[in-house]
Amino acid sequence: MGQEGVKFLDGSPVMSALTGDTIAPGESLASVTPAITHEDVARARDRDRVLAARRKGGPLSKLRLLWLLLGPGILVMLGENDGSSMLSYAATGARFGIGFFLPFIVLTFVMATIVQEMTVRLGAVTHRGHAELIFARFGPFWGWFSMVDLAIGNFLTLITEFIAIRAGLGFLGVKPWVAVSCSVMLLYFAILTRRYWTWERITLAIAAFNLVFVPLAFMSKPDWASIGRSFVFWKPLSGGANETLLMILSTIGATVTPWMLFFQQSATADKGLTRSDIKFGRIDTLLGATLAAAAALGVVVVTAPLFARHMAPANFQAAEFAQALQPVIGRFGSILFSLGMVEAGLVAAITISASSAYAFGEVAGKPHSLNLTLREGRAFYSVLFLCVALAAATALIPGLPLVYVVMTVNVVAVLAMPPALAFLFLLANDKEIMGDLVSPRWANLLTAAVVVLLTSAGVLFGVSVIAPKVFVALAGHL
Amino acid sequence: MNEPITPTQNSDRSSPPDLHADVVASLEPDQLVAAKARSFPRRNLAASEVFLLFSLRIYLLFMIAIVIYQIWVNIR
Repeated sequence: MGQEGVKFLDGSPVMSALTGDTIAPGESLASVTPAITHEDVARARDRDRVLAARRKGGPLSKLRLLWLLLGPGILVMLGENDGSSMLSYAATGARFGIGFFLPFIVLTFVMATIVQEMTVRLGAVTHRGHAELIFARFGPFWGWFSMVDLAIGNFLTLITEFIAIRAGLGFLGVKPWVAVSCSVMLLYFAILTRRYWTWERITLAIAAFNLVFVPLAFMSKPDWASIGRSFVFWKPLSGGANETLLMILSTIGATVTPWMLFFQQSATADKGLTRSDIKFGRIDTLLGATLAAAAALGVVVVTAPLFARHMAPANFQAAEFAQALQPVIGRFGSILFSLGMVEAGLVAAITISASSAYAFGEVAGKPHSLNLTLREGRAFYSVLFLCVALAAATALIPGLPLVYVVMTVNVVAVLAMPPALAFLFLLANDKEIMGDLVSPRWANLLTAAVVVLLTSAGVLFGVSVIAPKVFVALAGHL
Repeated sequence: MNEPITPTQNSDRSSPPDLHADVVASLEPDQLVAAKARSFPRRNLAASEVFLLFSLRIYLLFMIAIVIYQIWVNIR
């Protein structure tokens, strides 16, 4: 057992950070600390393995440490490569080709990494979730605003995940209600392990399938020279201002959204990361962003031939994309594409529902951990089950304008991001809770740049809706 | 409720008295569930921070209204 966190001063009694009781040297901590819970025991087991790997030292144990500590970063990034994001990337590739959006997608993942790194620090230092910190530090007035944003955004996004699952399996001839029911069952199965570690590993295993879009990009035999050129020469977009801005906002919304902040901070705390693990948390986030960016670029590349063939993707769902891509990547490739959409929806449904349940538990003061037994975490698991069931049922409503819902959800996510980033920014710079781990100046500058970029994109979109002639006039002057 | 483990409950990890000490040793003091029950104190927001939060809130409400307007226009 390690002694991390138990600090005795030489020869003098110390105050227990846990109870405020005075502990004399040599006195058992157990005699003065309050009762531990199953959640504590489960988390301590995970920490034991981390502490053992850290004690060993050497390159192999570094790798083992990475294996033990990665999870929240990869899950949040691959989770955000969700059904609606993948459909958005696919629509982007089919509508605009690769010229503008390949570098732009890389930029959005850089933004996501900057933002998510702050949640790692906050979770590891405070051991609290994002919603809990907002309520505690800013009070219920601001807390409820952010909770309402999160609840509405999460519910709408969850619906789109089941739309993607339904559409993806629809390509294989699976009936909508069977597709949605099976995915709900799989999601419940992951949760019913009642162990954060097991839940995380099951979800990571499913999320690995997100990378199927990378070989699919190769199967589409892309023009590598033009891909390379797209990174060197950033081409302007063609098309109407409103449509273009909608696509840009949708692409940003496919990468940075409020639920990611809540999920990664809560998962970091639930996993039990500490200050000494922050470096690995950063690697986890960067690795997740790299993998997710590769998959996102893969989708744009694989759907770009549809742009060359002048196909209109306006009303495409996952199944239509898979169908349209069949001449490009073959039947097997199309099946993989539709299964990739199913995976994207499934992993996002798992992570987004978890973020809702974490936030609810943190705000309501109920136990909130994936290490809880069903009895202990009755409220936590009920929220999780309920929001999944409601979203799944909504996705089965016939006649929903699916692609339109998907685009709108992504746009709303971008619009809700600046207020969410303001809370994150204030918390990450809060010396009282972060101590010496407050954000450095360069991180603050980058965060401010992200906020300005997101807000400007939103304002431009607003102008394009209210006064589209402004853009026409501007284009005439240029 | 997050139920405490009493000394009479067995664990596959170690005996109950050891379990308690082991868990406390493995986790940082403020990682324990009991410690998390204590909330962080509320902070006083500076006027500039309140202005920032209100501005972004108004921005969001305005932009959501625009999205609803666009949906309405498209439906028509």
